[in-house]
Amino acid sequence: MLIAEHLSKTYETKDWNGFLKRKKTQIEAVKDVSLEMHKGQIIGLLGINGAGKTTTIKMLSTLLLPTKGHIDVDGLDGVKDSMTVKKRINMITGGERMIYWRLTARENLWYYGQLYDIDNKLLDERIQRLLDMVGLKEKQDIPVERFSKGMKQRLQIARGLINDPDYIFMDEPTLGLDASIAKELREYIRDLAFKRGKSILLTTHYINEVEELCEYVYVMDKGTVIVQGTPKALALMGMENKTLCIELHENHELLHAGLTEACMSIEKNCSIQWDSKNMTYTITSRRDLSETVTRVLLEHRASFRNFYHQEPSLEDAIIKLARRGY
Amino acid sequence: MYCRTLYATFRRNFIIQLRAYPKDFFIGNVLTAIYTAVSAFFMYHLLFKGQMKDSFAGYAGTADYVSYVIIGNCMHLLMVRTLLNVSRSLITELREGTLESLMLAPFQRVQYFMGNMLQQTVTTLGEAAVMLLVCLPFGVRFSGFNGPAALIGMMLSLASYFSLSLILAAFMLYTRDTYISQNTLFAILFLICGVTFPVQYLPEPLQWLAQGIPVTLSLELIRNSTLGGMTAVAQMGSYIRIAAMSAVYCVVGFTLIKRVESAALEKIFG
Repeated sequence: MLIAEHLSKTYETKDWNGFLKRKKTQIEAVKDVSLEMHKGQIIGLLGINGAGKTTTIKMLSTLLLPTKGHIDVDGLDGVKDSMTVKKRINMITGGERMIYWRLTARENLWYYGQLYDIDNKLLDERIQRLLDMVGLKEKQDIPVERFSKGMKQRLQIARGLINDPDYIFMDEPTLGLDASIAKELREYIRDLAFKRGKSILLTTHYINEVEELCEYVYVMDKGTVIVQGTPKALALMGMENKTLCIELHENHELLHAGLTEACMSIEKNCSIQWDSKNMTYTITSRRDLSETVTRVLLEHRASFRNFYHQEPSLEDAIIKLARRGY
Repeated sequence: MYCRTLYATFRRNFIIQLRAYPKDFFIGNVLTAIYTAVSAFFMYHLLFKGQMKDSFAGYAGTADYVSYVIIGNCMHLLMVRTLLNVSRSLITELREGTLESLMLAPFQRVQYFMGNMLQQTVTTLGEAAVMLLVCLPFGVRFSGFNGPAALIGMMLSLASYFSLSLILAAFMLYTRDTYISQNTLFAILFLICGVTFPVQYLPEPLQWLAQGIPVTLSLELIRNSTLGGMTAVAQMGSYIRIAAMSAVYCVVGFTLIKRVESAALEKIFG
């Protein structure tokens, strides 16, 4: 298990203040962040740009030293035992970095394998298995500079797995990829966690990825974790109003007055919107009006195609939670 | 295997160089060295009229100016390329977007730098050999060649260039500059370390400075073993001096890199 406790990161910047003087400014990029990663679990780290997600990942992956706090990786100290910890972790980022463009896919994996001091026989087997897994076996002897963006990203994934890490940090791994390749990558990620027992920390701006993959989510804002929980719980937390949708078979002239009167009598500030094109009512209120609406529909003998509570959206919830600072 | 990072980095660089720097880069480097040698040849014959001051033979240990300059240039080429390649290795990784993935791995820094150097040395020795062959018609003569002494001198010279490159690497990584720092250093080394003339012609403060840079001693060792015919035993004192100097530079270089690395990574990744 990876446990990060009270992580903080402060940077000192120097700006020219006048002709000769330099002014020092302290920037707290991450403040008191604690999180846990369990094996076989995908957790999400969300937040708007500049929230501190990447800095947190870089501390967890030993690239940056925390100013305060402690990282424990299976009982090892993330700072003092960093050389041992490095063997158990790896990072995959979006974009086309982290691989040598002038080497072939196989040469890239071989080089990184040597840096991780992996036994040569095991390394050869692992390279072939990984290339097979990411669908690059046929292209393994072509220099990476001739690869497409998707192929480079798949090689990145193979590179991130070359040391068979227990903990994988993925920083926007599907950034800039087209929908089909992104879907393929999400399947890899799911397999890594659920079939191979890897623990994955995922940061992304694509909320559908989080809803699809993550079991648990930490939401960051201004360097700190403002809220955490399952994606469903977070969506509910961010949802201030309940939304009821009724799709009618045909227009019913008297229904509107009946619905308005009944709903307003329970909650004056509720909103009732009629979409004549789709023949749909959308009723938004703080209280659950489903019983009242059902009664009015029956009274008016209105025939409807669909009647449902609109599911809370995680995306809306994150924006709302960040806006109100939780 | 103990030296896996060294071997892997050597092999990686060799493949990259074969693919990325075709023969025109090789020819370009050789030509630069040849031009310097040719200019020395013409200076000697047209400007000096084949006559050097008596003091030159006294300081240089030979009256053969052309061979003196050509050997100086060969070693300068080796030194510049070693400094360039080793010092810039981390900054090159940063520019190519591979520094993060490299730093994620638990690799040995010494082996990584030595792998960079070894590949560069092999390539540059090839360039120097071509340069010497081309310079033969201009009159380069190894009048007093002592093989074992030259070999020891060469090994110690490479070690000294490596140690110097570590300090430059720390400086480059900290400032994230490769152009001004390296070219300033190369110009200083060319002027004060005795590449084209003995350091004794320099003002006294510059002579002291030159004696503190291992390149000066390295040039002296190679010339003594190829032109002066001095044996390894006769040069033992110089071997010890250059080894000690390299050790000091190495310790300082690695200490600086260790300190600078975390600060630089903070600047880069923060």
